[in-house]
Amino acid sequence: MTAIDTEQDELMGLLIAVAREDRAAFQRLYEKVSGKMFGLCLKLASQQDLAEEAVQDAFVQIWHHAGEYHNDRGAPLSWMLTIARYRTLDLMRARKAKPTAGDSHLAHMEDGREGPLDVSLRSAGAEELNGCLEELSEEQRDSILLSYYRGFTHDELSETLSSPIGTVKSWIRRGLMALKRCLEQ
Amino acid sequence: MKKTPERVEALAAEYVLGSLRGRARRRFERWMMESVRVRQEVWFWEEKLGHLGARVEEETPPVSVWSGIERRLWPQNRKPVTATAANDGAGRWLWPGWSLVATAAALVLAVILLQQPEPRDDDRLSGAIVQADLTDPLWLVSESAFERQLKLRPVAATAAEQGKDYELWIVPADGQPVSLGVVPVGETYQITLDDETRELLSSSRTLAISLEPLGGSPTGTPTGPILHVAKLYEL
Repeated sequence: MTAIDTEQDELMGLLIAVAREDRAAFQRLYEKVSGKMFGLCLKLASQQDLAEEAVQDAFVQIWHHAGEYHNDRGAPLSWMLTIARYRTLDLMRARKAKPTAGDSHLAHMEDGREGPLDVSLRSAGAEELNGCLEELSEEQRDSILLSYYRGFTHDELSETLSSPIGTVKSWIRRGLMALKRCLEQ
Repeated sequence: MKKTPERVEALAAEYVLGSLRGRARRRFERWMMESVRVRQEVWFWEEKLGHLGARVEEETPPVSVWSGIERRLWPQNRKPVTATAANDGAGRWLWPGWSLVATAAALVLAVILLQQPEPRDDDRLSGAIVQADLTDPLWLVSESAFERQLKLRPVAATAAEQGKDYELWIVPADGQPVSLGVVPVGETYQITLDDETRELLSSSRTLAISLEPLGGSPTGTPTGPILHVAKLYEL
């Protein structure tokens, strides 16, 4: 069993305990996951208070819905991060607090992607995704990653990547479908 | 729009990515509710793209985030905090006084378990706003998680004195009361609660009615006397 599997098993055990309203397990889960979750929300929102609110909302939801988690929803960590990510996107839309499209963000995004991948991409699923992302065209990959990590709208992508909206939309659409074909292989 | 496999596939990916917005996003959420196939397609992407989330650098959130979660989930367990910021503001209404006001008004609280004609599988809160010298309750209160609605049905309630209105409040365990609007006397008052308000009500389970100028409190917090306080109970 790899370190990743052990980790996910532990998270799974904690989620099951949380579904039984075990508060100690909930706190342990928070200690294990909140750093990753806050990092993701902060990157997405570029706003401290919004990211904090999203993490709070996400954990309140996790407390109430832990019993609804099942294997089809992906690894426990992915499931929890997905909840937080949707919440962040909702809050960003509600507040119209979108990050400004600009070079600094693009540079930052590149940092994340070119970072120490060997260290952070330990799981098989993550390696598979990374491999498939590498097969996309640079434009497709950038538009997908900017949407994922930055919550960019089509307008913002069009501005950031200096390309017409129609082109950007088609990069995303075709990129995602190519990604799916690759991941299904 | 028809749910063709191609369309579901393309929209699910954009839904999870976040690039599906506005009405298209809401329509797709309806599709998700209707079809397990659509949900499975979404789960596929949530799982795959979830790996992107896990590679972000960790950032430790401030301690206040955890205490906020605890406060929201278990407000009754909260340890007394000395000089909380929320109640410190100058000119704020001194809410903790409500219990004294209520006692002075010689108010008796009672619970009436409403008979639900069709018991449904959802959480319901129920209670009554009563007055000591009346046998009938002033209002019957029911809240349904399923319908997300709070209903106040007048039984023995009489109109407020001239030039005044009754205003309904949720009384949180700490912090300021939250207005649920002005209550008309002659008819059932029905409000749809948003997530945040429902959360607040289900944790505090306490409602209050204050006497306010016509149209309700001008400040957003109670300005007149608290006439009634009622606790709701889970059915």
